[in-house]
Amino acid sequence: MKNKVKNENIIEVKNAKKIYRMGHERICAVDDVSFTIKRGEFCCLYGASGSGKSTLLNLMAGIEKLTSGQIIIKGRNVHRMSEKGLAKFRQNNLGFVFQSYNLMNAMTALENVELPLVFKHMGNKKRKKLAKDMLVKVGLGSRLKHKPKEMSGGQQQRVGIARAFVDNPEIVFADEPTGNLDSKTSKEVMELIKEMANTNHQTIVMVTHDSELTKYADKIIHILDGKIEEIEELKTDHLNDEDEDCIENSDEVIADIS
Amino acid sequence: MKISDLLKMGLRNLRRRKARTILTILGVVIGSLFIIITISIGEGVKHNFDKQLKEYGGYTTITINTHGDVFDENGNYVESKQQKLDESLVEQLKGMKHVKAVTPVINMSANLYSGKYQSWAHITAMDSDTFEAFEFPALSMGEYPTNEDKSVIIFGSSQLSNFYDPYSRSRVWTPIEIDLKKDKISLKFEGRYQPNPRKKEFSLPLKNIAMMEETMSEFDWNTYMDLDYFKEIYLKYCNTLSLEDRKKAVKEIQEFQEIRVGVDNIDNVQEVQDKITELGYTSTSRMQWIQPLIKSSDSLQFILLFLGIVTMVVSAISIANTMVMAIYERMKEIGIMKVLGCVITDIRMLFLYEAALIGLFGGILGNVFAYIASIVINKYGAPLFSALSPGGMAFNMTEETTYSIIPFYLPFVAMGISIGVALLAGYFPARRATKISAIEAMKTEG
Repeated sequence: MKNKVKNENIIEVKNAKKIYRMGHERICAVDDVSFTIKRGEFCCLYGASGSGKSTLLNLMAGIEKLTSGQIIIKGRNVHRMSEKGLAKFRQNNLGFVFQSYNLMNAMTALENVELPLVFKHMGNKKRKKLAKDMLVKVGLGSRLKHKPKEMSGGQQQRVGIARAFVDNPEIVFADEPTGNLDSKTSKEVMELIKEMANTNHQTIVMVTHDSELTKYADKIIHILDGKIEEIEELKTDHLNDEDEDCIENSDEVIADIS
Repeated sequence: MKISDLLKMGLRNLRRRKARTILTILGVVIGSLFIIITISIGEGVKHNFDKQLKEYGGYTTITINTHGDVFDENGNYVESKQQKLDESLVEQLKGMKHVKAVTPVINMSANLYSGKYQSWAHITAMDSDTFEAFEFPALSMGEYPTNEDKSVIIFGSSQLSNFYDPYSRSRVWTPIEIDLKKDKISLKFEGRYQPNPRKKEFSLPLKNIAMMEETMSEFDWNTYMDLDYFKEIYLKYCNTLSLEDRKKAVKEIQEFQEIRVGVDNIDNVQEVQDKITELGYTSTSRMQWIQPLIKSSDSLQFILLFLGIVTMVVSAISIANTMVMAIYERMKEIGIMKVLGCVITDIRMLFLYEAALIGLFGGILGNVFAYIASIVINKYGAPLFSALSPGGMAFNMTEETTYSIIPFYLPFVAMGISIGVALLAGYFPARRATKISAIEAMKTEG
């Protein structure tokens, strides 16, 4: 998969619409949204809370059902798949990082990271090795046997990241991955995600309301009231630690472009 | 997920809520315990019954007495009626279906003398051709009557150990055993009729004696003779009586006191007995007495089985409750698993495995306790069972009587029932778990 063309559209969202019914009221969480994400891109869905960005992410991951429109990932219509087919598709192609980590509290760090591999019927030895290597990579080599409750938020999120990346998925969805973390830890976690994605040339779709984090993205999709306000493309190459100051205030940058 | 992973995860989940798991398992344990014990007691009754049949025999024998006892339909004695038993009835009975042997019987008491000791004998005289059909035991000495020589007297195994000294001053009755090799025995009919003073008193020296092996049954206490031979010696005795008593004495053996009918199979006893009733005769058989006892042990079993089923239903409800609780508790986990790509059949399987594990552990423990209970029942159950079965004859109460027998297949059956019930109880909760929306589930606190 790594030798595929970089510019290929890996995710296509076409006229996606999601309407919730709350009693007699209808709430349009995602209103006729269309965009594409290229392979290897770091895409950021940016917006205030309640703007519908999380719903959009869930729609892309197939966790929520679309009201109308199409979402095509790797050429396959996510919302046309059977439940089993979708589960298999997630196993093989998608990784998830959550705001509240969503780790299994009864399991150790190692077992949590193993979990997606367990669902894939991978052999015991092989998956243990993969999970262990992954945890070492995220810097938790000494905490394999710890349960989530015995770890700090940052450590838990590292476990979450290890779990998302362990099977080397092509796309990783991250929903406010730093929402529960302080700014220092947030930075560490973001660096980690970025580094992981760069190493294996993975596509990242991240939801955030924190303008700080948009600087890690190649593409920022501004969302307001369920609609795309603006799509902002950034050059990845000069986005590294040294230039951090240049785009400190991304709002200004966005203003310039528009 | 692989089965090993499902099992590992299921076990882990059960361990997380130990108290609840143990209580749920306890329900299954009690249910399967009742079911195993019920069936094992049933087996015990059957085993005892078979053993008794083998030991006593006589269950295929129907007896018609001159004094036929009449019972009402509840089995209570009403009255006794006179029945005329004669050759024509014997012939009629011989022609019946399922009847393999018929013999008239004359019972007579006699005294036995050996030196200064004496004893008594209950002589049962019957057609010697039917001895075999009535399951006469093997002989430890002598031979059964043959067509050539019918002049054999057959003692039950206890007959010779019952002699006593009538002139002894000891207040304690001390039985004396007679040794046939040394001592001679003679037989007399005494007491009921006046002997003719001009004739020599009747006394039959016994030369041709046979002894039965010990059977622990009525055979041990009786003395048997061929009917014709008995008549021969009895008539000799009659000749020594005074004139007026002679007629009375002879009359006594003109009619039979009893007719015994041997039936080919235990299952046909009732049928033949019904036919005899149709002929207008009252008859008795051991089966008549055994039947209510089997019924009472049946009702005991029924009560236990009912308890077993009730506890199984209750434990099924508690398993279902446990699984529903587990789903609520683990809502978030189910959501996470779904998002991470766990196939819904795996989620369902996970819950079913948990339910099945509860059933399995319950079944195993139920078996262990059932074996212990079985040992306890066999050791200390005698008072209970004699209280529960009136007459106490369903069980041949001896030291080694077993009331509860667990056949080899029973543990597996019980295990199957436990797991089956658990799966049934777990199925709907498991299905429910698969229907949960991942996104809603993940939002719950867990």
